[in-house]
Amino acid sequence: MSATATITMSALPSKSTIKLAPAQSHAEASSSQAQNQPPKSQKQMTKAERREQQERQRAAKAATKAAGPQPSGSNQNSAQVKKGAPPAASTSASVKKGGKGPDGKPTKDTKETTSDDSARGLRIFSHFGLPKPPGPSKGDIHPAIIRLGLQFSEFKIVGANARCIATLTAFKTVIQDYVTPPNNTLSRHLLTHLSPQITHLVSARPMSVTMGNAIRELKLEISGSDIDLPEQDAKNLLCQKIDDYISERITIADQVIQETAGTKIKDGDVILTYARSSVVEQVLVGAWDDGKQFSVVVVDSRPMLEGKKLLSVLCAMGIPCTYLLLPSIGSVITEVSTVLVGAHSLHSNGAVFSRAGTALVAMMAKQHSVPVVVCCETYKFAETIQLDSFTKNELAPAGDIFSSFPLTRSKDTLTLNKQLNLEILNPLYDLTPPSSITAVVTEVGVIPPSSISSIPLALGRTTL
Amino acid sequence: MPGLATTEANTSASAFPVVSFDICETYASFLKNEELSPPLAAILALSKLIETSDAGTMLELVKALNDGAGALKASTSNPISLNAGCELFIAFVTLLPHDSASFSDLKLELVRQGQKYAAEALTYRDKIASLALGFIKDDSVILTHSYSRVVMKTLLRAHERKRISVYVTEARPRGLGLRTYEELTAAGIPCTVVLDSAVSYVMDKVDFVLVGSEAVVESGGLINAVGSNQIAIIAQAANIPFYALAESYKFHRLFPLSQYDLPTHTSNILSFPLSSGGNVTSPPTAGGIKPLHEKSTNAGCIRQMTPEQIACNPGVDYTRPDLITLVFSDVGSLTPEGVSQYVVGMFAG
Repeated sequence: MSATATITMSALPSKSTIKLAPAQSHAEASSSQAQNQPPKSQKQMTKAERREQQERQRAAKAATKAAGPQPSGSNQNSAQVKKGAPPAASTSASVKKGGKGPDGKPTKDTKETTSDDSARGLRIFSHFGLPKPPGPSKGDIHPAIIRLGLQFSEFKIVGANARCIATLTAFKTVIQDYVTPPNNTLSRHLLTHLSPQITHLVSARPMSVTMGNAIRELKLEISGSDIDLPEQDAKNLLCQKIDDYISERITIADQVIQETAGTKIKDGDVILTYARSSVVEQVLVGAWDDGKQFSVVVVDSRPMLEGKKLLSVLCAMGIPCTYLLLPSIGSVITEVSTVLVGAHSLHSNGAVFSRAGTALVAMMAKQHSVPVVVCCETYKFAETIQLDSFTKNELAPAGDIFSSFPLTRSKDTLTLNKQLNLEILNPLYDLTPPSSITAVVTEVGVIPPSSISSIPLALGRTTL
Repeated sequence: MPGLATTEANTSASAFPVVSFDICETYASFLKNEELSPPLAAILALSKLIETSDAGTMLELVKALNDGAGALKASTSNPISLNAGCELFIAFVTLLPHDSASFSDLKLELVRQGQKYAAEALTYRDKIASLALGFIKDDSVILTHSYSRVVMKTLLRAHERKRISVYVTEARPRGLGLRTYEELTAAGIPCTVVLDSAVSYVMDKVDFVLVGSEAVVESGGLINAVGSNQIAIIAQAANIPFYALAESYKFHRLFPLSQYDLPTHTSNILSFPLSSGGNVTSPPTAGGIKPLHEKSTNAGCIRQMTPEQIACNPGVDYTRPDLITLVFSDVGSLTPEGVSQYVVGMFAG
């Protein structure tokens, strides 16, 4: 045994120092050979001994290589702690670093920590990405699109309908200013011209389902435009189509929804709504104008506090309103006769994707047997199926950019900033399961959520 | 001159008592036929209206039809199934492709189609009976509610080949369950009348529940005589299947959000009496036995509700789609979700 021990011991230096001093190793080997026979010739070692040797060499390798970048690794660890990553993350990261070390990329890791702390911190929702201010625009971006991107990223334009209409209006300007380059057709080149514009908008803020559907329709119209048409006529036709789309699928649809949902509001009702939906606002205002006597409970939530806008509109009309924040909804839900909410998008399985907090309102209402009515135009339908809120969502930017709090305290004291052990997470949307929804009011009628997938077939459309 | 007179009379057809054509009377006369249910009678009455109408354009005709339908709705307190028939017919009229030579030809065609539909619809009950037959096993114990012609047909058809026994609820206040009892016993089917309040008592002995319908609504839910909702809830709690039989002309575009969202729900229903005796006669105090308005079978005092008290109660109720297992119809056996898809497809286009 001692013989083997000395063999292995001498074998180690020979392996590790092979690059440095071959002559030395030879000398050592020969000396060991002089002593005992088989240091190099592993064939002569038994299997177990060989395995032992291999294990030891592997361990030694790991030890030496960990020992190498170890000093820099510990530096990184302390740097991370200072920058506020949770302790668990740092220990796992350091283990990873130890393992990563041999790959030779410790410097890259330090760069990562310095650039974007928040992305590291949000471990479960890091796939959402954080809103960043739109970077320098690559390529020829139309100033209308740049302005729109800025408005989106600063949340000056919010709401699925508003964003879609703003996008389409901006695209009308882009189309009118567009000039087909020679040797090209409008129907083909305009699409390539629009792509970077769309990318710019997406980089400012992820596209809503409404924008996606509208842009898809627009692209269909463009690719179908007649080649023989003179350019200005083709452009006018496209703008006309855009106007028709807005009018037919948004404006008029909203009016039909207003009438249909208005029939569900009776005298003496207490209607509960959440945050601000442009359609619900129209429904309530329309019903009040028709002379129905009802009262409204507006439920709101931070950080966006959109309900305040709705509240001001309703109060200006003279509708009796109550305003409260989401956590207090349990105390009023028993007084409510109907819940009316809007939607960002509607999915094929009947789930409603809407402002974060809507799911809570719907589930609470269902629990108390209050009917939940979702007002949604058909162009908001997404053909995907969504089962939960976190596969696809969007984060609100940190900081209190939305609120119009009465400024008794400065805005800085109100915003919650990232600290050592604190990460702020503000998803903008959540998913209401179809079981919590009683009815969906669209411009084609009142339908139960389970029948949503049959609407396009009924309308004779192949797509929504 | 007589033609002119009738024209004038017809243009004011929106008012009730009209010399030449009264839609409510026509409707009532059609209803006298036992086989016709309210929606079919409404369709036939509206076809008659077209026949005698003097409208010159499609727009006028549709307006006349809508006026007629409005008159019919106003004449009865439970217009739901009637509505279903009217809507179906008016939708049919507006969607029919106008390829006839002249307008009068088109009217004739419409009338013909209306009558043909009504004749065909009378076969629907047989279709539904054959469809439901597959779900009735030998030696089944069936619970049914009140009186329904479709259910009668199905039970009689089943009795031809299999052994069935039937519990039927009394279905107060109209007591139509007793009529079911009489007809079934006359056919030789063992039948027992069950109190409305004893449904949960009997539910564990039952294999499945079979009810008819006044209307099937867009949510996939059912509108039927009051008591159906209770039976459905108890059946679901006991894991007993609940089957509804409905002809396709009873599918309606209504979407009630709750019991109180039904058109039959008035402010009178379930209202509390005013102390000044405005609503109901004196509240029961001091053992005041109200004069018995219906025959009491026992010597001991059985109290009965007064007509005013009965008037505070609903006649129909709404059963939610999640409580219904299957709806058997002439278009096939549908789940409640399937019903809503069918209704959406039928009316949304």
